[in-house]
Amino acid sequence: MPIRIKFFGDLRKKVNPDIQGSLPLKLSIDNADIERISDILKRYSIEENEVIHIFVNGRYSGLTKKVKSGDIVAIFPRNMSVLYKWYFNREEDE
Amino acid sequence: MTNLEAKFEDLPQEYAGLGGRGMTSTIVSKEVPPTCHPLGIHNKLVIAPGIVTGTRAPTSGRVSVGGKSPLTGGIKEANAGTSFAQMLGRMRIGAIIVEGKHAGDDYFLLKVTNDGAEFMDANKWAGKGLYNTYKALYKEFGDTVGICGVGIAAELLGSMSGVCFNDPEGLPSRYSGRGGLGAVMASKGLKFIIADPANAPGVEIANEEVFSEGIKKLINALGEHPVTQPKGGLNSFGTSVLVNIINEAGGLPQRNFSRGQDERAEKISGEVKAEEIKKRGGIRPHFCSPGCIIQCSEVWTKPGGKDPVGVLEYESVWALGANCEIYNLDDIGELNRACNDLGCDTIEAGDTLAVAMEGGLAKFGDGKAALKLMDEIRKKTPIGRILAQGTEITGRVLGVTRIPTVKGQGLPAYDPRAIKGIGVTYATTPMGADHTAGYAIAPEIMGVGGEADPRDPKKAELSRNLQIATAAVDATGYCLFIAFAVLDIPSGLEGIVESLNGVLGTELTVADVPIIGKQILDIELDFNKKAGFTAIDDRLPEFFMEEKLPPSDEVFNVTDDELDSVF
Repeated sequence: MPIRIKFFGDLRKKVNPDIQGSLPLKLSIDNADIERISDILKRYSIEENEVIHIFVNGRYSGLTKKVKSGDIVAIFPRNMSVLYKWYFNREEDE
Repeated sequence: MTNLEAKFEDLPQEYAGLGGRGMTSTIVSKEVPPTCHPLGIHNKLVIAPGIVTGTRAPTSGRVSVGGKSPLTGGIKEANAGTSFAQMLGRMRIGAIIVEGKHAGDDYFLLKVTNDGAEFMDANKWAGKGLYNTYKALYKEFGDTVGICGVGIAAELLGSMSGVCFNDPEGLPSRYSGRGGLGAVMASKGLKFIIADPANAPGVEIANEEVFSEGIKKLINALGEHPVTQPKGGLNSFGTSVLVNIINEAGGLPQRNFSRGQDERAEKISGEVKAEEIKKRGGIRPHFCSPGCIIQCSEVWTKPGGKDPVGVLEYESVWALGANCEIYNLDDIGELNRACNDLGCDTIEAGDTLAVAMEGGLAKFGDGKAALKLMDEIRKKTPIGRILAQGTEITGRVLGVTRIPTVKGQGLPAYDPRAIKGIGVTYATTPMGADHTAGYAIAPEIMGVGGEADPRDPKKAELSRNLQIATAAVDATGYCLFIAFAVLDIPSGLEGIVESLNGVLGTELTVADVPIIGKQILDIELDFNKKAGFTAIDDRLPEFFMEEKLPPSDEVFNVTDDELDSVF
């Protein structure tokens, strides 16, 4: 089962410069070479400081969070950093 | 209101230095008997600008409205961003206190100028929508006045009625919405307040140098931060930027709080809305009051740029949209227009519509049927009168058991099962379920330290500190959204404190901020206690503990002991 990724806002154009409209860009990718969130960013040449919120299956996550087949990953750009962030703990993996 | 007398009084010493929520809650606490009927002769409606409101301080055009709430039965403060607030500040009005009650069915308008205040007959505007009425009021009183008013929902003494202020376009779209304070105003026979700031002296500033230095720091912080700066998140997408984010967090309530996520919510996101506004020729970004740097507001219109509604906030889009399974921005826009026109709080209206749908009055997802239900309020039919009383009463009348309220007030747009910290705030704030009650300065600034797991039930200390900080911000006149910047840039918070010192001539420090907030909360908690509230009122409805929220399948599992330890 692939990993489902949703890119929001400006990150959509980074991944697909031809994208129109404003709905999230949804991709399904195989998990070869993808162990953590940071690997997804590398695959699409997204710098860490371009990203603000990441959710893995609805859990607020950091760059070292591990991902596996079937996971749903949502990635938001830095200029969408509006959140009650003090209510959220960024989950990371060793 | 009893004898239609209006007069200016010097600010009593005990109210000196207060503003916004600090002013309204102090006056209500001292002058309103906690056990009085909220719509009776003993309740008072208090309208107060913040401490720096009306000055050059950025993003500070807030007005607080306070009184005993007919929705919760407790103390209430609801605030809005509007030029009306700045006009009161520049006229050096610390607060307008509306007291007594006019006998009979007549409605009045209070005109406040720099030289005095007078009552005028307002019956010709009773029973009419606020969009046309605000147009007529501007025609009659001139383009430079500010308007505060209540609509048809308030005439019904409905607990979902808010107090409505003008936006910069003169639209009736800026609301002190929550708690039914519109009904309190209407119950006294007061329909409108017109503020005419001609020849106003401006806010007295005790120390111009300290004030200027303070606002410079805050302006820098707001300009630097990615959330608050031009082309930042709020500026680009408005508060609806949260639709996709909270949906991804599994905490965007759908279908009367029965799910926390739905892909269809993507169609009503801030990104989609911003693009559509641009296409239609609406306005985005836009400020709710002059001098705001963040400019998160907007003017939503019908296709072709026609019939402007005003802002569609995140909470409104959620309440009238996702929570009713309506994933169509045009339907949501028209429902928001109906709320503005009738004088309804959009959150309470959306919660009420969803409960009404669950009770069989309309089908979930049917925007046109939802609009018809709002029309029942306009026509003052029996169904309309029930709906106007809000979520709790509508749910009970229809035999619905999933009624999302705390202290009678409908929950906002964050499901407490997915985001438990905010659930603690919903349960324990003296305001009834209110997202803004714990929406403030970072825990680390308040000395709590660190961030918290949203699903970790140990939330008491976090919620307490956020509520304290919020109460303090609500007294200043600054918009709560400054918190995003001062959260990460400490000089911004210093700037806020210096700006207060500049206006008041005080020597407050950052360490005094939580003390000010705690004093306000203590006053409010004491009022509610005397009004009969106990720990049992600090609970979420049972279904949040029993029904799992898809897709996370979480329940609200914060213990009663934890809730009771907040205050």
